[in-house]
Amino acid sequence: MPEAARTPTAARVRSAGIFALVVLGAVVMLFPFLWTVITSITPDGNLADGPTLFVDDPTLAAYRALVDAVPIWRILVNSFAIAIVSTLLQLVTGSMAAYGFARLRFPGRNVVFALYLATMMVPLQVLVVPLFIEMKTLNLQDTYLGLLAPSFASAFGVFLLKQAVETVPLELDEAATIDGAGHLRIFGTIVLPLIRPALATVAVFAFMASWNSFLWPLVVIRSPELMTLPLGLSTLQGQFTTRWDVVMAGSVVSIVPIALVYLLAQRHVVAGIAHTGIK
Amino acid sequence: MKNNRRRLTAVAVAGIASLALGACSQGSATSKDDDSSDGQTTITYMEFSSNGGHEQDLAAIVDAFEADHPDVKVKVETTPYDSYFTKLQTALAGGTAGDTFELNYENFVTYAENGSLAELGSFDEAAYKPSLLDAFARDGSQYALPESFSDVVLFYNKELFDKAGVETPTSDWTWDEEAAAAKKLTDKGAGVWGDYQPVQFFEFYKALAQSGGSFFNEDQTEATFDSPEGVEAAQWLVGKPGKTMPTEADGAGTPDFDTNLFKDGKLAMWHSGIWMFAGLADAPFDWDIAVEPGNTQKASAMFANGVAVNAASDNKDAAEEWLSYLTSSKAMADTRLTTSWELPPVADESLLAPYLEQDKPANRAAVMESLESVALPPVIARQAEMQDAITKELGEAAAGRKSVEDALADAKKAVDALLG
Amino acid sequence: MQRSRWRTLGWALVFLGPSAVPLVLFTAVPMVSSAWVSLHEWNLISDMRWVGLDNYRSLLTDPATREVFWHTLLFVAGYLPLVYVGGLGLAVALNRRMPANAFFRAAYFLPVVTSWVVVALVWQWLLNPSDGLVNHLLGAVGLGQPGWWTDPTWALPSVILASAWKDLGFVMVILLAGLQSIPGDVLEAADVDGAGGWRRFWHVTLPLLSPSTFFVVVISLINGFQVFDQVFVMTGGGPAGSSQVVVGRIYDLTFRYGRAGEASALSWLLFAVILAITAVQIRGQKRWVHHA
Repeated sequence: MPEAARTPTAARVRSAGIFALVVLGAVVMLFPFLWTVITSITPDGNLADGPTLFVDDPTLAAYRALVDAVPIWRILVNSFAIAIVSTLLQLVTGSMAAYGFARLRFPGRNVVFALYLATMMVPLQVLVVPLFIEMKTLNLQDTYLGLLAPSFASAFGVFLLKQAVETVPLELDEAATIDGAGHLRIFGTIVLPLIRPALATVAVFAFMASWNSFLWPLVVIRSPELMTLPLGLSTLQGQFTTRWDVVMAGSVVSIVPIALVYLLAQRHVVAGIAHTGIK
Repeated sequence: MKNNRRRLTAVAVAGIASLALGACSQGSATSKDDDSSDGQTTITYMEFSSNGGHEQDLAAIVDAFEADHPDVKVKVETTPYDSYFTKLQTALAGGTAGDTFELNYENFVTYAENGSLAELGSFDEAAYKPSLLDAFARDGSQYALPESFSDVVLFYNKELFDKAGVETPTSDWTWDEEAAAAKKLTDKGAGVWGDYQPVQFFEFYKALAQSGGSFFNEDQTEATFDSPEGVEAAQWLVGKPGKTMPTEADGAGTPDFDTNLFKDGKLAMWHSGIWMFAGLADAPFDWDIAVEPGNTQKASAMFANGVAVNAASDNKDAAEEWLSYLTSSKAMADTRLTTSWELPPVADESLLAPYLEQDKPANRAAVMESLESVALPPVIARQAEMQDAITKELGEAAAGRKSVEDALADAKKAVDALLG
Repeated sequence: MQRSRWRTLGWALVFLGPSAVPLVLFTAVPMVSSAWVSLHEWNLISDMRWVGLDNYRSLLTDPATREVFWHTLLFVAGYLPLVYVGGLGLAVALNRRMPANAFFRAAYFLPVVTSWVVVALVWQWLLNPSDGLVNHLLGAVGLGQPGWWTDPTWALPSVILASAWKDLGFVMVILLAGLQSIPGDVLEAADVDGAGGWRRFWHVTLPLLSPSTFFVVVISLINGFQVFDQVFVMTGGGPAGSSQVVVGRIYDLTFRYGRAGEASALSWLLFAVILAITAVQIRGQKRWVHHA
């Protein structure tokens, strides 16, 4: 195989083969989303009927019903605000911690890092009640701050960024130190630009985690004005009957923004590399 | 109680005290904000049953109440049924639950026994259907008021019956007639099924009652559903899938599967609740209902929702006033009846006349007739565990992994352990 | 020496403080509270009653505990290889120059961001035993047609399949970022040395990707042992409990059964398992993880 790949035509055939596979795979991955979109514009659309590729008379009725059923604009503003703020916070707190773990040889470093990881190991389902009682004690229940509190920092982000910082060659730091740069400057001018792909990745996941989170907002939010998207969408499913076309319209509304965030972040992943010239 | 929670909080807050979080806290008090300046009391009401189409109807009842009681405001917090109890319990644990909240009959006992419900005293006893009022009493005290009820009937597709030349169901039917008709009506080639009855706890306790069996012994210290009557009931349920009823492999159990099957005209008989009336109004074929067939006796399932005052509420009197209105006022009854919501728990059945006069289904009398032989679900403090255990063992039997007898014996063992 | 050590510690506080404070406040404190709860009998509402280690004792002898741990283990064992190999293949394929590259990356990422409610409905339809697409295909090539999520034997594999499909994009994104940060000249040098496709992949790309791989494996194990959402919406733990997992049990115990003490104890047992597995990985990483 490697031998064959080296001749130009064989390489081209192989590339075409891989491309075909990628296209096929993309169809499989996109199919549920397309199905969601199609159901949302089918009159009285119903998932149980199975997917159809063509809609005889497409309608936006489900989207109008969605707007009538939930205060969608308010909800979107809330969700966006919370997601953006928590993403920014996690980027700042995460990249700083990552630098600390990767570059500072302080005693107990491994133990502290293990403790960070440990915060990911107890399921939220069991933390929700104590956390809620704590929020009530701090008088933060039913506030934006209470909603944000658990996502100020994430061990996931710290871990991912730490792995990235460790791939930045130490020689760059050393050269800067000789030039008289301190930790803050090395962090800001050398490390941060070089880990942009990882920062973009963390941004995507932080945004997504906030955007989709359900259990914590469910218990901490009481006022309809503070409601976030997943809470709003959950009210579309009734105890006995559900209008699936409206649920699907809601899903489309919830999927599109993160897909856009991802596309946006993608550019930075690529740009980051082009700029730094590690090549 | 207070002490323990305070200790938990103390652990939780250990080391935080020094933090100046006070500055950022908005302190939006949720439940007990008395706007005492203008002599008004605000009552919060946590509920699930208006979600999914009746939000406006509940708002109408609230408006009518506030017009009647200018000194009380009601703040409604609606949560979908699926997540309602998670939210309610967390709020109760944190001491922030609403002044009033909704429960259903099955888990009422759980909440009554753990002391979260206040005893009620100033409601009008005569306004309620006695059996419903009793359902929410415990040891002679009233801990919740019945809010609504609904029952389960046999829905049938008249066109399918006519086409197959089968007599349509009547209230005299027994299992034998149902089974015979289901067999004739099933046409697997055309994707038409004769019958649909889920294999789970609520169908089982009812089938057991229809067979003359009892779920518990007299003083509720031991489960008795492994009796011959219980085996007969379980066999009745487990024997349907694959023969006259679609199996899970056909999609049974997925969201709205049965509803869609009936709506598509591919299901002849369907055991379901009267809450489906509104959704079936525009079905393009003739359908009606009948009292569910019995076995050795008649027994129909009834579901009831109740409303309770939080034992920790600061405004118990106003809270009870609101609940009385919500459960017994004329405004409430009118709203419920004209919107095909679950039925009002009123004693005066003449109030239900407008409901019974509507058509589709024509035989609405069956809704009331079913109430003449009602079987309420058995309830214990550890209700959810009991329901799960029964459903799980019936599932084992349905999957053919256990005989019906073994499944019931294991279920009895599990349930007995929950009674201790 | 001493002074510089204090200085490093000072800088560590500066860099770690912003993440450590919220993590302590909003995660560690509730964790400690839950450890406290695990020593009590508590239904969330009435009095907490001190029971010492009784919750742990009764959990360890409860067959339900063994069952949910076993299902969780099976889930992880099935899920991790699928999602890693699939994600790696995708990342490598999409790291090439090809038309509409960005579009494909987004397409593969879409399932990651789609809610489980929608994904579950779709998969229930795909895996529908009687007229689902998958069984049609299996039938066409003459293979058996399992009952998937409706059959106690196949419920867990169905969940694994859907989970791996959904998370492929997650692994892909991490590994893609890893691939992107491999310096181009290293790969070119390998090309010059005559290392062709597979050999270059095994001996150059994969080792250089090892920090990303390490990350994916550690995170996937931590998350995999806490699998819940997909089980909750796809099978509800059924049929007949055949797909119930540890966190599903924890959820039931806390919010449905009023047994918060046991739920907390169970989550600390789970914690011990995850911690042990993570520790082993961190210990072992020196052997195979290459840092620049």
